[in-house]
Amino acid sequence: MAVVRRNISTNPGVRDQYIEGVKLLKNEASGRATDEFGIPGAARSVSTYDLFVVWHVTAMMIETPPRNPAQRNSAYRGPIFAPWHRVMLMVFEQNLQRVLNDANFGLPYWDWAEDGDLPPQEQSAAAIWGADCMGGEGNPVATGPFAFRASDPSAFRVRISTNISGELRSVNRGLRRAFGVSADALPRTAHVTNALELPAYDSPDWDADANSFRNRIEGWMNDDGVSATSMHNLVHVWIGGEMLLGSSPNDPVFFLNHCNIDRLWESWMSRNGRVYVPDMEAGADLKGHRIDDPISSPLGRSATPRETLDVSEIYEYDALI
Amino acid sequence: METKKLTTGAAPRKLSDYLTRARDKAPAHDGHGAGGAQSVRKDSYRGHEIEIVTTYNILVDGRKIRAPLGVDASGQVHCHSLPNYQTASAVDMVRALIDGFPEEFERKPARTKSRPAASRKRRPAPARKSRPAAKKGARHEH
Ligand SMILES: [Cu+2]
Repeated sequence: MAVVRRNISTNPGVRDQYIEGVKLLKNEASGRATDEFGIPGAARSVSTYDLFVVWHVTAMMIETPPRNPAQRNSAYRGPIFAPWHRVMLMVFEQNLQRVLNDANFGLPYWDWAEDGDLPPQEQSAAAIWGADCMGGEGNPVATGPFAFRASDPSAFRVRISTNISGELRSVNRGLRRAFGVSADALPRTAHVTNALELPAYDSPDWDADANSFRNRIEGWMNDDGVSATSMHNLVHVWIGGEMLLGSSPNDPVFFLNHCNIDRLWESWMSRNGRVYVPDMEAGADLKGHRIDDPISSPLGRSATPRETLDVSEIYEYDALI
Repeated sequence: METKKLTTGAAPRKLSDYLTRARDKAPAHDGHGAGGAQSVRKDSYRGHEIEIVTTYNILVDGRKIRAPLGVDASGQVHCHSLPNYQTASAVDMVRALIDGFPEEFERKPARTKSRPAASRKRRPAPARKSRPAAKKGARHEH
């Protein structure tokens, strides 16, 4: 039976379960240590939650194909953006269900465009940043369930981050957020509506300059077809702190942002059918992004973009757009 | 996708096994960490082959920073360690690096020749104004 993914702002029960599940995964030892992932320094236990941080950083390091000039990688900057994140979210949701002992739990989404429609100065006071939800901003974040408490080892901590070269590093500090520093405001409903009108999932040159649905929601181009930081990227950059880095899954809001992006993709497919491009006729310069290429994931080589187009057995959204 | 494939593959053990294998395959940022980053842009125009190689050499407080900056076909600056951001100017990207990696910019005495103390004094950053993004197809100097 498919689980239902709901809006975190209007479903306090799901919200509380999400927070609880994140904490449980953060405190669950994965059985692996940092040295096994090539992280320098003393070997330290890696939590199940932090495996998702390592996965994200690793996926971004895998250039698809190696040394492509568009800097496409196995998770971003190309057609694979939506399928790769769909797989990551499904694996995360499975783990939340496991630790919550609730097979009916569906990952919530954050409909950030609702907050983006507020005047910019009010956006950081939206319900999502309340002490009963994700907490607020700061270095470190000092309110909410993921607040840092120096004397409390069980409080939420960032343990694996990246350095300025993008390499994994061990750290031991609180979560960081700085709203509106590198970008003024969140994306608005009009941006979402305009993106959903684009007829092509993706298009040549399959990069950060393509005027396609994928590139628009990933957020390399604005509604006027001009290079800009928008949609998904803008959400990362507006939140700032952890969310700026390759290790952005350190902030539990990462998954809520990507769940909303996945909902936009599902909304687009409900209009345009379960179609994906490029197909296997595309050249080797798009290897890793074609419909039957394996996705970089623990699901094996048979998990491909084609396999992610119909997930009706696994989950659905309470509301599409 | 079938539920069974997902439930089997989602076990933490499967994920960590996959990650140790994947990390062996991931390039260790060739040409990135070594203190520079290179972008090669190619185009052809009226029968001529154009190749533009861009290398960033960035100093902050006199110290070289090891950030993998690149520039894409439309002239947007991108940095692998700030993966969701692009700017029309490398200066804005370096400002974002200072925001994103505060401990990497903690003040240490610069190793370059001594300069008048005034030039080392921290100045407040100019007000951040987002610049108009480069028009698609436009070519800018960075
Ligand atoms: Cu993202």
